[in-house]
Amino acid sequence: MTQPNTGLIRWWGLGIFVVLVAAIGVLWLLVVDDLVKAKIEEEGTAAVGAKVELDAADLTLFPTGLTLTRLQVTNPDEPMTNSVEIARLTMNLDGLQLLGRKVIIDEMQVDGVQFGTARATSGAIDDRARGGAPGTSQDDSTFSLPPLEVPNIQQILEQEDLETLKLIRAIQTDLQREREVWKERLETLPGKAEFAKYQKRIEGLKSSMKDGLGGILGGVDELKTIKKDIEQDLANLKTARKEFDEKVALLNQRFVQIQTAPQRDVQRLKEKYSLSPKGLVNLGQTLLGKHIGAKLKEAAGWYEMLQPYLEGMETGKGSTGEEAGSMRGKGQDIHFQEHEPLPEFLIRLAKISLLLDIGELRGTIENITPDPAILGRPLTFAFAGEQLQDLQGVTIEGILDHRDSAHPTDTMQFRANGYRVQPVALSTQPDWPVTVENGFADVTVNAELRGQAITATGNTELSSLQFSAGKPGDANPLTKALSGAVSDISTLSVQADVTGTLQQYDVKIRSELDRLLKNAAGKMVKNLAASFGKDLQSAISAKVAEPLKNLTGSFSGLDSIGGEFASRLSKENNLLKDLLKQGLPQKGLPKGLPDTLPGGFKLPF
Amino acid sequence: MIRLIARLLRVLNSETNPGQISLGFCFAMVAGLTPLVSLHNLVVLLLILVLRVNLSAFLLGLAVFSGMAYLLDPLFHWNGIQILTAPALDELWTSLYNSTLWRFARFNNTIVMGSVVFSLALFVPLYFLSNGLILRYREHVLAWIEKTRLMQFFKASKVYHLYQSLPHFGGGG
Repeated sequence: MTQPNTGLIRWWGLGIFVVLVAAIGVLWLLVVDDLVKAKIEEEGTAAVGAKVELDAADLTLFPTGLTLTRLQVTNPDEPMTNSVEIARLTMNLDGLQLLGRKVIIDEMQVDGVQFGTARATSGAIDDRARGGAPGTSQDDSTFSLPPLEVPNIQQILEQEDLETLKLIRAIQTDLQREREVWKERLETLPGKAEFAKYQKRIEGLKSSMKDGLGGILGGVDELKTIKKDIEQDLANLKTARKEFDEKVALLNQRFVQIQTAPQRDVQRLKEKYSLSPKGLVNLGQTLLGKHIGAKLKEAAGWYEMLQPYLEGMETGKGSTGEEAGSMRGKGQDIHFQEHEPLPEFLIRLAKISLLLDIGELRGTIENITPDPAILGRPLTFAFAGEQLQDLQGVTIEGILDHRDSAHPTDTMQFRANGYRVQPVALSTQPDWPVTVENGFADVTVNAELRGQAITATGNTELSSLQFSAGKPGDANPLTKALSGAVSDISTLSVQADVTGTLQQYDVKIRSELDRLLKNAAGKMVKNLAASFGKDLQSAISAKVAEPLKNLTGSFSGLDSIGGEFASRLSKENNLLKDLLKQGLPQKGLPKGLPDTLPGGFKLPF
Repeated sequence: MIRLIARLLRVLNSETNPGQISLGFCFAMVAGLTPLVSLHNLVVLLLILVLRVNLSAFLLGLAVFSGMAYLLDPLFHWNGIQILTAPALDELWTSLYNSTLWRFARFNNTIVMGSVVFSLALFVPLYFLSNGLILRYREHVLAWIEKTRLMQFFKASKVYHLYQSLPHFGGGG
């Protein structure tokens, strides 16, 4: 065995340590750029749901900085299109903070930002559904123009089921049924046969009373029996007559209502088919609202895409003893109070150049962080551009204040001057197409979002306007009048007020358009509406006249039943009177009969 | 691994200072039980290279303790939480949290803190335990093993030839 070394230190080990550390450092420097690139692509792809690609990443240590070249973020809903493409992104990192595992970027330069660029290959990663991408959502607004045709009354009467006719049909059916019911009922009530029987019994009674005392005593019993039977029949007849009268009263009431039904039909159809001046009041909203609504929806889509990042979903909050995140095998990072608190991620200043279709916009965004509460400052942004294509100048400024995550407040001001209006179809309705051919617009928008509640006001001053409205050879006087009014408009002021939430908002448009259209066509519409109402009334009256006449005739069937009731009741009363002439105790006699029996006839008890 | 075991056996059977072997085991415990890519393990690397620590023992111990670490992670996590959230230590941790170096060392991670404290706590006991076992092995077991049929068979094997060809890696070097 060799003699072991017993000294505590082996100096050559220090050399090996230095060499090892240097080798690790060199290796890190060689691969770090690729590691950063791979990490950005991996994390970005997971966050977006579609490929995020980077041509190159270059990390420098002295000074600490990172340069990214050609960053492409695929639109998840359109894999052959990039949502955003950035030509070059340069940032200065705070090296010390980076060692403390915080990404603090003092300044970032973002050049050549473009939206909606085409991709050479698909950026899809899987087929999972994603919704609500900015600028791609369908316009599901329900704007529609009021009817501009003068209605054809004959067509209306052919299409519509008049309430009057429905009521007439119903009452006629009921009349028929009641006639049949009461005819059958009359069969069951006392009639001619019963009256003849009573007459015969009374004649028999008269004969028996002539046969001395025995006949008289027997006749009294028979007399009582006949009286009771007649009274019962009388009661049955009266009850039935009462029911019959009630039914007739109800039918008469319905008949009276039918007399006013044609007027109700006229009113209903007038409201349904007639163009009212009230409709013209909302025409400005109808023509302009859907375009403003579409822009608002696009803006809401962009905001909703950014919202998770604004609300700080990625990091834990730094306070003593608070725990954040849990992952098996990786543990948890416990955060403590910092003397100078800083978020885990912060871009203090980003200078951005946006390459849009209209030209270049330059601007800055300050304090980009998912933890604005820790930073204590809100995100602010300001962009501006001048002498752009079809636009003299534009400024966009805003503050996204999410320091209090329970009560976030975002504000934005937008101003555009001298915007050359591109041809835009305000109405594609075949009867009355309207297109703004050209003009200039100065637009001002102030918007505020408090929590979910949005309040926005927009003001647009349009000048040098040229419209094309209506179709060639239009014979409709109304649309002709409207087209003439629109074509004469050269300046227009439009105010829009938006209230509600980002998901459900209400757009109210105020403009001179309403007044101009109302002035031009309002009187004509009013006259047309009056004429239409008059013609409609005549047509409906003519249509229901014959059925009403038939209905009046149908009531005569009930009159005969009523007459039959009166006749039978009269005959029963006469029979009873006739019976009483033969001698009958007065107690229980019908009211109105004589107090004493005729002929001074006295009963033996 | 066979080479490593052979080396270890040779070291055990040599006259290498038991303390050098034990230190190898102890440093292996620290590096193996704690997350490998950590700032403190750079210090461990420096120490095992500069101090006369047996590297064979360290490398074998590293393999064994790294395997054990996965099983002990829940214990380290619990341990780390208890230490990092102890009210009495809050001031200390807050102070360290405001230091870039300590933040870089990830002392505020439950697994890092739990495993470091656990391994440091066992460092000295393991050193003396290991030392005692090596000495007992050499005094009692080695002589008996040399005489066994199994050892005779082993001495005729390829592994033994390999073992014989190995230098005293680490501690004796």
